[in-house]
Amino acid sequence: MEAATARVGRFRRRKEKGYGSEERRLAALLLSPALIVIALVAAYPIGYAVWLSLTEYSVRVPGKWRFAGFDNYTQAFGSTEFWDAVKNTFIFTGLSVSIELVLGLGMALAMHAAFKGRGLLRTVVLVPWAVLTVVSAITWRTLFEPNLGLAPTILDKIGIGGNVVWLGQSGYAMAVMVLADVWKTAPFMALLLLAGLQVIPDDVYDAAKVDGATTWQRFRRITLPLLVPAILVALIFRTLDALRIFDLPFVLTGGTNGTSTLSLIAQQELTTNNLIGYGSALAVLTFVIVMGVSFLYIRTVGGNIRSLAED
Amino acid sequence: MLKIPRLLAALAAMLLFAVAGCGSDDDDSGGGNAEKATQAQAKGDVTWCIGKDTTGAFSTVVDNFNKANPNAKVKLLELPEDAVEQRRLQIQRLRAKSTECDVLGMDVIWTAEYAAQGWLKDVSDYISQNGGDFIKSTVDTTEFEGKNWNVPFNSNAGFIYYRTDQVDSAPKSWEDLYKQAQQGDGVVYQGFRYEGLTVNFLELLYSAGGSIVSDDGKEATADSQEVKDVLKFMADGIKNGAAPKAVTTYKEEESRRAFESGNATFMRNWPYAYALGKDSKIADTFDIATFPGFAGNEGAGVLGGYNLGISAYSKNPEGSLAFIEFATKPDQQKIMATEASLPPTVSATYDDPAVKKALPFAAELKSAIEQAKPRPVSPVYPQISEAVYNNVYDALQGNTSPDSAASKMNDQIQKALETF
Repeated sequence: MEAATARVGRFRRRKEKGYGSEERRLAALLLSPALIVIALVAAYPIGYAVWLSLTEYSVRVPGKWRFAGFDNYTQAFGSTEFWDAVKNTFIFTGLSVSIELVLGLGMALAMHAAFKGRGLLRTVVLVPWAVLTVVSAITWRTLFEPNLGLAPTILDKIGIGGNVVWLGQSGYAMAVMVLADVWKTAPFMALLLLAGLQVIPDDVYDAAKVDGATTWQRFRRITLPLLVPAILVALIFRTLDALRIFDLPFVLTGGTNGTSTLSLIAQQELTTNNLIGYGSALAVLTFVIVMGVSFLYIRTVGGNIRSLAED
Repeated sequence: MLKIPRLLAALAAMLLFAVAGCGSDDDDSGGGNAEKATQAQAKGDVTWCIGKDTTGAFSTVVDNFNKANPNAKVKLLELPEDAVEQRRLQIQRLRAKSTECDVLGMDVIWTAEYAAQGWLKDVSDYISQNGGDFIKSTVDTTEFEGKNWNVPFNSNAGFIYYRTDQVDSAPKSWEDLYKQAQQGDGVVYQGFRYEGLTVNFLELLYSAGGSIVSDDGKEATADSQEVKDVLKFMADGIKNGAAPKAVTTYKEEESRRAFESGNATFMRNWPYAYALGKDSKIADTFDIATFPGFAGNEGAGVLGGYNLGISAYSKNPEGSLAFIEFATKPDQQKIMATEASLPPTVSATYDDPAVKKALPFAAELKSAIEQAKPRPVSPVYPQISEAVYNNVYDALQGNTSPDSAASKMNDQIQKALETF
């Protein structure tokens, strides 16, 4: 495999040398409109947030502004609020994304099988994903309302969590949040994986059948390996989304009982407390964490896809 | 380049023409002499930015004003129902020096913050002339650093709702109330981590004779025996079942639903729940009472409600004041009371038969408002309140002891006060 990458590298270098400097200039020129738009839309706000995060700028006190260096960051690193949010965000992401992956894979396999009404099922399955998160969060909150909600009533009948206030106790609140997220996004995961399943050619399976491979062997030796690129892409999408989760804790719990997340505390400091500097620092930290995770993913995914392609 | 000034000039000319054209026929407005004096001057456009007009009463008041003042036009700009969102949207506009909002519908706890930021026009002259018409405690909410910054529009105070089929009469003390609640179906209140919890906590604390900020607004006073006692009282209430654990997820509506579905003996809530309760299945088996005392002291409520202020960036402060004056006269206040169940701030309104009919507990309501105390007046009130509800919530959840919650609350309040 290493030889293969080295070969690719050599090939690429040789090709680059072939470009004339004039062609490069033309390329830059042609790219510039797109780059300018990206700079305006993405780079400027990010840069401005970074700049704000280095200042002490609170709308609480009229006219108070000073350059604060890394004070806001030290404050964040020294606060339990921040570390709790980091912990909750990662717990939420880990739980919801892994459950979604398993469920999504199951749903994708089911939808891949040929049967009557498959097209209809594929559409129906997407309904939860099409519902606005805020709307579904309000529905979940109502479902879990103590005494009156459907969920506690049913769970009580079957003897689970009789005395639990689901959205008012640590652990349970997180469980509801994960449940709400899984309900909403497992179909999305399933659809991404289904797309991956559909590009696997049938001949491979036919050949395996001829060779006498069992269903499990076909799944384990053919489906899973060939599905890895799709799985990784789906994981990236979902992980980055989950790391930025805001609407579910905002509506379900207001960040109480071990459900405060990074985006939620950044929003609260920025808008409710009007601490522009500190809130921006929290937003920048969220950004850095999300960037870091996506960087890790892209490195592993990139490597994996290339190695798969080489095989 | 030249086109813009020319366009502006043309617009200005049109405006002048329009104003002059309207100015000639202002003799047909009705109303008393005192009102006429200022309302005849009401001119131009005024935009009133206030929370959602759920009952249509705000629009009625606007229509009445526009009918009485042909030279002026008030437009209602509805903000969200949630007070936190209202404040957020107003502050966004004020920070940008937007001229969009002229009259601001402000929760009584925002006065100090807005005034300290220079976002409001001083209305001290108006209050010194007309302040006597209002209930004294509501006028107190308009004050910051010796001046008045807005005009009381509607008021509010909490009540104890109790089931007449479960208890004979309202308890005389909070201690009795919790004891009876423990034997019955419990007491529900607003125990979620938000402003409402601060109010619920302060009602008990004020009844116990305690405070969280000194009278001059400079020092935190929350590390006191009263605060610890009240925290312990509330936390024990949840532990021993006087209040269900679920109250830590309750805001106003959740408490109301729990009470109306027959799941609680007592409820602390605002007056709005009364009319709704009379439509529920417990309509004939509940009544309301003012707050009981605590630890041998008299009961005390916490003042809620909305005031009307004039944005410092308003282009039409005269027209804005004229509208505020109109909206806070007894006849309009009556509309607010009868159509929207919003408790009036003008004393005389409570004696009106129509108001008494719409709010059968008008007399109790008036005395509750008279006795209610304001929340601490401070430009950093939102942070003070955050320190209160975060720590009360932790104590209710049993995450911290009442003693350490009190000292943490005190430290955080002190820190908030020092940032200003």
